[in-house]
Amino acid sequence: MSMTRDGCPHEASIIAAVNSGQWSPELREHRNDCVQCAELTLVVAALKSDADKLMAMNEPLPDPSPLWLRARLASKERDYQRATRAIVWVQRAAVGAVLAVGLAFAPGFWTKIKSVILGFGLETSAIDIPRAAGSPLLVVVCSIVVLAVLAFMEFASLSEN
Amino acid sequence: MLAMSLSLSRAEAVNEPERSVIMDEAAFQRLHQLTARQLRAYLLRSCGDLDLANDLLQETYLRFLKADFEGNDDAHRRNYLYRIATNLMTDHYRRTRPQTNDIPELDPTRGHAEEVDMRNDVGGAMAEIGPRDRQMLWLAYVEGASHREIAEIMGIRPASVRSMLFRARGRLADELSSRGLRPGLEAS
Repeated sequence: MSMTRDGCPHEASIIAAVNSGQWSPELREHRNDCVQCAELTLVVAALKSDADKLMAMNEPLPDPSPLWLRARLASKERDYQRATRAIVWVQRAAVGAVLAVGLAFAPGFWTKIKSVILGFGLETSAIDIPRAAGSPLLVVVCSIVVLAVLAFMEFASLSEN
Repeated sequence: MLAMSLSLSRAEAVNEPERSVIMDEAAFQRLHQLTARQLRAYLLRSCGDLDLANDLLQETYLRFLKADFEGNDDAHRRNYLYRIATNLMTDHYRRTRPQTNDIPELDPTRGHAEEVDMRNDVGGAMAEIGPRDRQMLWLAYVEGASHREIAEIMGIRPASVRSMLFRARGRLADELSSRGLRPGLEAS
């Protein structure tokens, strides 16, 4: 019989015979004549013998119990992260808002601080310190930067998880 | 990092612990008992190192649990386990040997693990063929996986399996024949 990649129609019977060890005389005769089935018999029998040997090894299997516990812990951690994500976002947004409002009032605070410093009679270069936030645009920019940093931190922590 | 107090305690946040893990412990133990020895044999014959095979086995089951894979039946779950194991094996060798994209050939002269007896006739012959060939032959003729299942597990096109399997079988048969094994004298 010629050897083709379509396979011999007896392949399934050959595999079953190798696994069961029960060969009909016809199938045995076919195997002896068919190159493809002879090759298949050799390979399947070899693999079966190898698999039996490996599966009968005395080496104990690793204990699966810790895996279950680890998976449970990981699952709980995932649930926890999911449940608290909104709260964390609200907290971070609140911090951002407080910082933004703080920046908005900074010019007024700075004027007070400056007057206190001048009240001590310290004629220093403190007077030359630039105003931290002098315009609404600057407040908006600072707020965006703060929120962007917070968002980055959130994404970083999510990717770590 | 801003230190913030979270008002929700862990116990409160996770008030449905059983819902998040689909399989219960008894079912997992049963699946493990049903599949672990075969899966380790597959890993062991693919990598030739018992310690590595045990590590990969544990990681396979852990990923299986973390994936919350339900599966239709045991056969479906078993195929998924083999898929994870095959991917883990490939990933492991990609990490440890970045210059290659595949699992290396076994070295039958040095012996990856003496206890695996890689230098017997079959083990030695398996060590001479490629890692993908080893995996494919094992899945087809030891596990009895269909071509479609092999394609799913190994991440290849189903249409390619037949010809790849045919070539792998030929290579192993040549190796076995060169060791004096013939169909009439096949390993028993």
